[in-house]
Amino acid sequence: MTQAALMHYLVWPLVKFLVAFLIVQVIVAAMNWVERRLLGLIQARLGPNRVGWHGLLQIVADPIKFLLKEDIVPSSSEKIAYFLGPMLPLIPAFIVFCLIPFGPGPTFISARVNVALLLVLALTSTGVYGIILGGWASNNKYSLMGGLRSAAQMVSYEVPFGLSIVGVLMICGTLDLVRIVDYQAHNIWNLFPQIVAAFIFFVSMNAENNRTPFDLPEAESELVAGYHTEYSAMKFAFFMLAEYSSMLVNSCLMTILFLGGWTLAFDGHGLTTEKLVSMGVAGGILGFVIFFAKVMFFMLVYIWFRATFPRFRFDQLMDLGWKWMIPLALGNIVVTAVFVLAGQERLMYWIGFATLGAIFFYLSRKPAPARPAASTHKVVHAS
Amino acid sequence: MFDVHEMEINFGPQHPSTHGVLRVLLTVDGERIINAKPVIGYLHRGTEKLFEHMAYPQCIPHTDRMDYVASATNNLGFVETVEKLMGVTAQIPKRAQLMRVILSELQRISSHLLWLATHAIDIGAMTPFFYTFREREQILDLFEAYCGARLTLNCMRIGGMPDDLPAGWLDDLEAFINKFDAAIDEYESLLTNNRIWKRRTVGIGVLSPEDAIEWGVTGPPLRGSGVNWDIRKAMPYECYAELDFEVPIGINGDTYDRYLCRMEEMRQSRRILSQCIPLIKATPAGDIKAKISRVVRPPEGEVYHSIESPKGELGYYIVSDGKSQNAYRCHVRPPSFVNLQALPAMAKGHLVSDLVALIGTIDIVLGEVDR
Amino acid sequence: MQVEHPKPRWADRFLLLDLFEGLKTTVRELFQPKVTIRYPEERLEPADRFRGMFKFSYDRCIACKLCAQACPIDIIYIDVHDEQREVDGKMKKLKVLDRYDIDVKRCMFCALCEEACPTKPKSIWLTTKTYELASYDRNDLYFNMQELEYWDDRPKYTGLPEEEGAPQVEGQKLIAGGHE
Repeated sequence: MTQAALMHYLVWPLVKFLVAFLIVQVIVAAMNWVERRLLGLIQARLGPNRVGWHGLLQIVADPIKFLLKEDIVPSSSEKIAYFLGPMLPLIPAFIVFCLIPFGPGPTFISARVNVALLLVLALTSTGVYGIILGGWASNNKYSLMGGLRSAAQMVSYEVPFGLSIVGVLMICGTLDLVRIVDYQAHNIWNLFPQIVAAFIFFVSMNAENNRTPFDLPEAESELVAGYHTEYSAMKFAFFMLAEYSSMLVNSCLMTILFLGGWTLAFDGHGLTTEKLVSMGVAGGILGFVIFFAKVMFFMLVYIWFRATFPRFRFDQLMDLGWKWMIPLALGNIVVTAVFVLAGQERLMYWIGFATLGAIFFYLSRKPAPARPAASTHKVVHAS
Repeated sequence: MFDVHEMEINFGPQHPSTHGVLRVLLTVDGERIINAKPVIGYLHRGTEKLFEHMAYPQCIPHTDRMDYVASATNNLGFVETVEKLMGVTAQIPKRAQLMRVILSELQRISSHLLWLATHAIDIGAMTPFFYTFREREQILDLFEAYCGARLTLNCMRIGGMPDDLPAGWLDDLEAFINKFDAAIDEYESLLTNNRIWKRRTVGIGVLSPEDAIEWGVTGPPLRGSGVNWDIRKAMPYECYAELDFEVPIGINGDTYDRYLCRMEEMRQSRRILSQCIPLIKATPAGDIKAKISRVVRPPEGEVYHSIESPKGELGYYIVSDGKSQNAYRCHVRPPSFVNLQALPAMAKGHLVSDLVALIGTIDIVLGEVDR
Repeated sequence: MQVEHPKPRWADRFLLLDLFEGLKTTVRELFQPKVTIRYPEERLEPADRFRGMFKFSYDRCIACKLCAQACPIDIIYIDVHDEQREVDGKMKKLKVLDRYDIDVKRCMFCALCEEACPTKPKSIWLTTKTYELASYDRNDLYFNMQELEYWDDRPKYTGLPEEEGAPQVEGQKLIAGGHE
């Protein structure tokens, strides 16, 4: 192995991965604060604002709390599985960051694999093991039930997750994440031709991460307490870390697949990858900033959804996944296939434009006028 | 080999969704509820026994603490029952009656706002809780300006009211009323049309009208099943007979209908309040107490009187022996206690996740159930 | 009147407009000013009639014991003895207050004692706008006559009505700076 080959294949990717990993950890830690603060502001209150300027030191205070808390291990738990449980979801969540490109050019990706999409999907699916192990190893009937329910939810939403990507694959013709972004720079964001797939992907993302409206396994107001009941201190923090990390991974995927990654271009005009690379360091940073902004938007949408919606019951959740999302995804594949075979992919853009236009049109209509004070008519609800 | 047997789970006294210390013994088959038996008594404080040892005016702060969410209506029920026993109901001045109606309707709005907050958060929607509490703060501020306390009001006396309205109170009330419709519209935009909310509440906990009457259920659970019975219309007390309002009736008797009933009741309460303001401005200020002696000694006899509290029919049964200043027996008919008996009938066949929705829709307050 | 179930249009069902309405509401709320009061740096001043901590006036009290009778939980302990005292040149039999203790930790602040007091202005009143009564020692909350008249170590608010009278302007006023 020559020195150059060692540097190129081993050292340099490792360094890039570590940098990406560190940035991701910082983002995940900051997400804790962002979530609590944003949730508070939506809910007509302030979030944590005591510890440091606007509560930013909460990010430091929470890990300190987790590290110093007493680590209670139930005596009747299965020890090896109990310790392994929180670690297993973390490992794939971290490894996946090797494969995701964060910006233009080869500096922003640790391992450029030409089947990156498949690998990412496969890795994120292995996160289920930790949940099952954690729930089972606690030796608690209700944790087991919660863990199995959560696992069933995650597994059954893997299917629409994967199926919705097939439409994107058909249009872009490649599994390589970098090339998918390039395709979008030269045409239009995949959001428009594949709006149904984007919606299914987004819903499946929420279900995979156990976020509202699919957060039944984590809800404390239900009977079954969930797979992380018996975990305290750092192990619980691992579960939370895994959840935020996989939220981040899924947001990155959504950005790359549907929103054009780090580019801001239409039909080859604008900030395409080539243009950003040709701008040197500034271009790289600009690309990264664009990517980061889009990813943060999706993280904020996660929080927005959590604040707004009630949660589904478990059987309704499974209903939604198997009876609605999968047929919709399959239908999307068929429709996309028809358009691709006919060579008229650009016609699909009108589907996206029409849907988004209709939504904005209906939303911007003024709501029904306020009812008069002493009305004797039948009730008409504002809708 | 595989013996299928039912599991008994304890939906224990300490639980975030039971709104107090309620224990429900569930017999489940997998996730389906076969039987749900409420076990109560964890908040029993011996209120009815205490009433036998205290003079009638001293009982009023204790009635506050039964349904601690809606204490003005508790006070009203007790005070009206004693007045009925003493035979002075016709002598209560108009201004006092209007003040009582205003406080009761404000309390109804406040209680329904709390119900909406807790019901929504049990089903998973976190934000209506904070929005409703913001409106509820304004109501509690109104209460504080009138009688000095926010939750346990002690705001009514036998024969009238303790104090007249402070200066500017009616203007604050009017300001609140003007903003309130928009607030209800906001909560409804989050919940009423929401398909997730409808999936969680439509068809859950259906109570047929016959069953509801058999179980003795009153209040919004009864009206949600389609029975047109509201004590304010059927047996009017205070000056409800002169006020113009409607009583919402449900169609199917499920949780969604009860939710719609209570939302509409809030709007109708607001309508009542807007009618009361000009009426009370027309009465002479200061005329708030009937001419009865300070020492309350009702004649011998027994009486039962009920009012429409936000949770249902709140009744007081007082037996007096004519000689002493305290009741010989005072029994309270709490609406939540009777409504809770319908829980097994409503919960049969549903999933455990629906149980939280059902407990929320009956709107129980354990202080009232256990007294 | 019957409640009306909302009838969704086809657009509502397919374009998920009901979900978007909810999202619109929460986003609108995000940009509204927040009503949180940052206690303890900011405090809300209670209303004029707010039933807070007691204050007692030995000079006005005529030792009639009506407040002790009115209390539903009997936490006012009064001891009185008769004395012959010289008033305006004549010997009169007066009641002298020996003990006037209130067990504040059991009080429910119902103000029935204030209502029963016959003197004008009242000898015991609760409109001191003081609600921060917590202490580390249980015995601190048993107030005897001197403490009831002269307690001074609780937060005070400006514009406190010293005497019982008709409340003036009511309304919640926000004061910054807290503990004086």
